[in-house]
Amino acid sequence: MSRVKELQKSLFGGTTSNARQFGMIFTLVAIVLLFQILTDGLTLNPGNLISLVSQYSYILILAIGMLMVIVAGHIDLSVGSIAAFVGIVVAKVMQEYSVPWFVAILIGLVVGALIGAWQGFWVAYVGVPAFIVTLAGMLLFRGGNQYIGNADTIPVPEGFRTIGAGFLPEVGPNTGYNNLTLLLGLVICVAVVVREWRGRRTRREMQAEVAPMWISVIRIAIPLVVVVFASLQFAGGRVGTSFPISGIILGVLVVIYGFVTRNTAGGRHIYAVGGNARAAELSGVKLKRVNFLVMMNMSVLAALAGMIFVARSAASGPQDGIGWELDAIAAVFVGGAAVSGGLGTISGSIVGGLVMAVLNNGLQLMGVGSDRVQIIKGVVLLLAVAFDAYNKKQGRFSVIDSLMRPFRRDTPTGAESPAEAGQERGKSPVAG
Amino acid sequence: MRNILVRGVAAGAIALLSLTACSSERTGGDATATSGSTEAAKGFPANSLIGVALPAKTSENWVLAGDLFTNGLKDAGFQSDVQYAGSSTTVADQQAQISAMTTKGAKVIVIGATDAAQLSTQVEAAKQAGATVIAYDRLIKNTQGVDYYVAYDNFKVGELQGQALLDGMAKKKAKGPYTIELFSGSSDDNNSAVFFDGAMSVLKPKIDSGDVVVGSGQTDIKQTATDGWKAENAQRRMDSLLTSTYSSKTLDGVLSPNDTLARAIITSVKGAGKPLPIVTGQDSEVESVKSIVAGEQYSTINKDTRNLVAQTIQMVKDLQAGKTPEVNDTKSYNNGVKVVPSFLLPPMIVTKDNVVEAYANDPNLAPLTK
Repeated sequence: MSRVKELQKSLFGGTTSNARQFGMIFTLVAIVLLFQILTDGLTLNPGNLISLVSQYSYILILAIGMLMVIVAGHIDLSVGSIAAFVGIVVAKVMQEYSVPWFVAILIGLVVGALIGAWQGFWVAYVGVPAFIVTLAGMLLFRGGNQYIGNADTIPVPEGFRTIGAGFLPEVGPNTGYNNLTLLLGLVICVAVVVREWRGRRTRREMQAEVAPMWISVIRIAIPLVVVVFASLQFAGGRVGTSFPISGIILGVLVVIYGFVTRNTAGGRHIYAVGGNARAAELSGVKLKRVNFLVMMNMSVLAALAGMIFVARSAASGPQDGIGWELDAIAAVFVGGAAVSGGLGTISGSIVGGLVMAVLNNGLQLMGVGSDRVQIIKGVVLLLAVAFDAYNKKQGRFSVIDSLMRPFRRDTPTGAESPAEAGQERGKSPVAG
Repeated sequence: MRNILVRGVAAGAIALLSLTACSSERTGGDATATSGSTEAAKGFPANSLIGVALPAKTSENWVLAGDLFTNGLKDAGFQSDVQYAGSSTTVADQQAQISAMTTKGAKVIVIGATDAAQLSTQVEAAKQAGATVIAYDRLIKNTQGVDYYVAYDNFKVGELQGQALLDGMAKKKAKGPYTIELFSGSSDDNNSAVFFDGAMSVLKPKIDSGDVVVGSGQTDIKQTATDGWKAENAQRRMDSLLTSTYSSKTLDGVLSPNDTLARAIITSVKGAGKPLPIVTGQDSEVESVKSIVAGEQYSTINKDTRNLVAQTIQMVKDLQAGKTPEVNDTKSYNNGVKVVPSFLLPPMIVTKDNVVEAYANDPNLAPLTK
């Protein structure tokens, strides 16, 4: 086999449906490097990376839930209003009844779950389209926010602010870096190595073709360099700042939801429902339950995102959450989800969200006004989805695919599928 | 397989070694964090970056202020970064803009807040990075991070509006009782309550004596608030008031906190085909000055943005030179955790009678008054 083809198959997961996602990763890298040059190195400076994570983690948390909603073939327009509603409830509860902040967070999540159950009920069991249910929810909960908050801005106590404005604490000897952040980086490095090693072991056990050693080295080395660089930057910020708590919450959610959507039956059911609801139901997927849980889950995540934003802003205000649904939906589509449902991944959406975030941040660092930033973001969203539509029309044409077509004939198709189970870049088995 | 582990770890170690050479902000950060206050006293280079974060472009005033800051800071030899919050996600936008200015190493950050209570995290971060924070026109709440506040005396603005409303109505109709309606600004803006309280300090005695009647009975600031200072919200509320209260009664006057809302109120009254009441305003917006000259809107307040921006730039210059900026009020403006030293400029009431003199020095407005 030629080395190029090995690289394509083993590094990129081997099929063309991943091309878009990797295109997005390359776009992200390119944008980061571009702004790094244009802003004279400010983009990757510790202070900026830290504020980038704390500014966008709540949008990325919404994107996780939104990806699942969109994969299931729905949409949720109410997330911003739900976030604002939960934010004001939590702030009020802490202000008027002096509830401890961790109890307030629990109350917030419960309120989110109740709202989610309400919306899920209408979508799944009554059969009202999610667009309508959540449009109603958008009005309902925005009004609820104003009714409870009297359009006032209500401050939240110091402890609560940790989830939005807190950082990993400074502990241990003075190394010139934040020790816990370095530790976190080390854990991620070990995880990368272990995962690759286990992936190879699984392939061997399954009698599948094991990628050559140099491929594995690349697959370990690139993430390691990125992780080491990132953890040094995050750990090297101004004293008292380090990797944001909200970023850790996001990371944990990405790992959990990534696993659920990729490796569990329940997660795959979401893709099945989005790909072809009728076929999924006939195959024994409990359609109503899947729809209910997906909508409910979105509202819980929206509640969490709302609380993180309130914590970061140190107060819940009447303008919270306005336009968030659009940011989350944009992240999911830029990250490669299909408008028709059934296709898309958590990691793709995160990358999509990061592309938009870095774009926004870089343009702000350059001093570009918010008017032009909005225009540029609009164009990027349109082009990303246009690329998707073009792919479909061309029978999944992709740049990598067309380059590789001459080598296609000898691809051992049988060997690919079990091998890919161990890989992260999940694709839907029911992907149209 | 151990082989891979070994190689991976080796690669990681090499990467780690090569990257430890990377710059860390820790040492520099330490220095600025501890010597932040003394550094402010020492001043900073004359070509430093000055950040200006303003709210969304919802009123002419902010657009003008942005232009004045851009030019004024440039003329003073500074680099400037003037940003407006986006139209939909205003608060989050402004938070990100302030963080970006901090990252870029701005020495002074001037903030016209969109929501004065939601910026404390960013303001404190800016402060810790060594920047001086000046709250422009709107006082930033609940944070130690604000150094100065510069604004027009807003209580005085309210008093002038209240007085103008009474004077205007007395001119039109010699004897009361006068029927009025009250409008106030957005409740997330610290100033709204100050304007309203100032106006009520003049109007309340008249209301109590029965000389002035609030037709709808809506005298609480919660009832009179206009969300986001948006014209459409004021117009909607005025439409409903006209329908509910003034189908037979005559409306003599409306207290409006600014010009944008005043014009929305006048539009609403015209739309309903009613005689125009006395309507107050503030900000000297172009359309409202025209309206005053034409005899529609009764009054506005001249809080010349030029003077306010000039005063702010003067503060920046003082800070640059290592001097303590001049303040004239160290008692009135408590932001919840500290009393912020303030410089207050006096406002001026403008009606048809003095419109020519009031704008004589204003290149945009003077031609309109001829």
